[in-house]
Amino acid sequence: MVKRSQEDQQVDDRSAKRLRPSHPDRLSHLSDELLLRTLSCLSVSDLVLCQRLSCRFNSLAGDSQLWKALFYDRFVRPRASRIPGVRDQEQSTKSLYYSSKISKWLDDDHLVRRGSATNWKRKYKLRHNWSRGSANVSETQLAEHPSQPPLLVRLHDDIVVTADPVAGLRAWMLKGDDRLIASTPFHTDNEARSAGPTSLAVDETLSPTDRVNISVGYEDGSFAIYTLQQGERRFARRYVHAPSRNGAIHAIAYASPYLLTMTGAPLLSLYRFVHEPDEVSSNLESSSDRVNNMDSASSQEIKTYEESSRRHVHEDIVDYCVNDGGVGDDAKIRPPTLISSLRSQTAYPPTSLAIRASSTSIVASIAYAMPTWTSGWSVGLQEIRLTPEGAILDSRVASAAARGALSLPLDAQLRNPVQNLSAVALDQQVVAGVKMALGSKLTSLSYNHPYLLSAHPDNTLTLYMVTSNTEELSIGVGSRLWGHTSSVSGAHVGDRGKAVSVSAIGNELRVWELEGGMSSSTSRKRAAAGEASVQVRPEKNTATSETKIENTLRAHISAVAGAGSMRMRAFDDSTVTQGWVAFDEEKVVLLREKMQGAQALVVYDFA
Amino acid sequence: MAEMQKIKLMSSDSAEITVDRDVAERSVLIKNMMEDIGEQAMTEAIPIPNVSSQYLVKPLQETNLPPQVNEAVLNKVIEWCVHHKGDPPATNDDDADSRKKTTDIEEWDQKFMQVDQEMLFEIILAANYLDIKALLDVGCKTVANMIKGKSPEEIRKTFNIQNDFTPEEEDQIRRENEWAEDR
Repeated sequence: MVKRSQEDQQVDDRSAKRLRPSHPDRLSHLSDELLLRTLSCLSVSDLVLCQRLSCRFNSLAGDSQLWKALFYDRFVRPRASRIPGVRDQEQSTKSLYYSSKISKWLDDDHLVRRGSATNWKRKYKLRHNWSRGSANVSETQLAEHPSQPPLLVRLHDDIVVTADPVAGLRAWMLKGDDRLIASTPFHTDNEARSAGPTSLAVDETLSPTDRVNISVGYEDGSFAIYTLQQGERRFARRYVHAPSRNGAIHAIAYASPYLLTMTGAPLLSLYRFVHEPDEVSSNLESSSDRVNNMDSASSQEIKTYEESSRRHVHEDIVDYCVNDGGVGDDAKIRPPTLISSLRSQTAYPPTSLAIRASSTSIVASIAYAMPTWTSGWSVGLQEIRLTPEGAILDSRVASAAARGALSLPLDAQLRNPVQNLSAVALDQQVVAGVKMALGSKLTSLSYNHPYLLSAHPDNTLTLYMVTSNTEELSIGVGSRLWGHTSSVSGAHVGDRGKAVSVSAIGNELRVWELEGGMSSSTSRKRAAAGEASVQVRPEKNTATSETKIENTLRAHISAVAGAGSMRMRAFDDSTVTQGWVAFDEEKVVLLREKMQGAQALVVYDFA
Repeated sequence: MAEMQKIKLMSSDSAEITVDRDVAERSVLIKNMMEDIGEQAMTEAIPIPNVSSQYLVKPLQETNLPPQVNEAVLNKVIEWCVHHKGDPPATNDDDADSRKKTTDIEEWDQKFMQVDQEMLFEIILAANYLDIKALLDVGCKTVANMIKGKSPEEIRKTFNIQNDFTPEEEDQIRRENEWAEDR
């Protein structure tokens, strides 16, 4: 009886509903689960429209799991099927469908490292913008006039560090309006020195903290270590190395406690600081801290290293470590020890220095341009492997031009790398290999293991894949990358094979996906068709900055057309134009020279 | 023997419908129920939805309750189950699901879903309640197709969705999503 009445009531409810004037919103009455299931059938463009329907739809259509699946479908799965190994192992394409249970998407686990808080919609947008080359553009004026030596720029997290002889060392924040966060002149008034900065490096080994360690190399062969204290908005000078007669420091790399410098001679020197500039802990430091304690207990050890390293040194190494001691007022660090020094006759600028650390060894590497007798410019790479204690394990040389050289015994290379290289250049057998890498002088070189990317004045880039393991160090055959329509002035390779290049004239900025190299036929085809890269354009809705860019572009073109000499200079092989460009996950930063030599920092923000 | 078994289902409006057991077992809910209660289910009609004591309590909110599967809806669901009787069983794993992103629906299903909105959503609710995954997917895809290619205003009109944004809020969301629209 009770049941009967209940059913009657239900029927009443239903008929009452039918009598409502307009038909009810049945879609919104679905549970979240059912709505999400429905929304998961939609494309990105429909999904974002659904977000505008109502508050409920806004939150449901922005659901991170929906976007995670979309991200996977668009960016991970197509790539997975491109990688030969994965395709071979998993014959059925079905196994490549999205599944949240496969926590590791190839090497994309870096995407989820930050835990559950991953905003997949944001990730999707970022990748989407990268793939289409659309970015917000903003500009910051750095200098009104060109300086000699030219302005240097480095990017680290969200901070850009610049160095020039006029304004000194400056740090700029890329987020927010308050751009300049710290600046310091290079030389105090009572100092006699006036050498300008010629190279700049940011210590990449430190985990993001309030402090950033920076090394600067100068015209007179000296170098200095600065620490940027973000909280206090200032730089502290920690150490100054005495000038050297080996000439200006053209390139510098810094991975605490190691410092690698390259002078014009060209002389490559590797230093190790005995004390840390900071107590900030990182993997590399903690391992070396232990060592340092040991060292200070018995300073004999250091000498042994020094002496043993001297045996490898070819000529006069007189970079004695002298601390001038008289400047600055901050916690000083002790002078570094020279671990190794190498002189080369074949390494020409541009060079790219790098220090990378693994659990068992530290690898200092230098990539350089190399003229060959038969075919113009090619690239070479030298690696010095050290134990974490600083003892040299071995030193190896490879070059793209001389593939035959790699079969030579390691010993011979170690003893006399210079002779090897020149001897090999004459080797008839390698001429064919040389022809592959036939090229004009390099304008820029960027090495991020295993990618070695060089930029050329002839509108192309060359990508080399580097193999470095316990058995061998070798550089693969170069692949040409087409796409630019004017001389490429700068290129930068980041992690996972993403690269950005910029051309000397105009605003051409290109993004390259180089993952897996150019080994597969599809990627070669894409490269040949000019599809391997995407040109970056300013976004439409930023009307103000876009017009600004267009004006710059127009000004640039008219300047080029008006003054023939300027154009000539841009294409001249003998000058290496400073086309600096760098990027991280969200943005590209490049240095742009404008009329009358004014320099501006241009930020392309993809987020 | 098992193939020919018939079972009776009772809709919310007390209509009894007799179906082949294998047709009814397209519903995971009924299949599990049959396994639980065994042969005695053959003699009595299975009420859809099964009315429990909580159901006798005054309804709090519509969505918290099992949907009311009336005779028309139940017949429609059974029609679908009969047609898809021979389909390979759906994988239990919802996650490793190779559900395609597309909103492609096979022709018979498209015709089957040519019903008014009330019936469409009743089918979705019934499929969800009865746990017939393939039918649920067809329903969701049908709704997705009704959303596809429309402007937000058109979608609101189609489903009578209340816009609870201020114009500023809506504009803000529009601007945030501009990057994904032009395709």
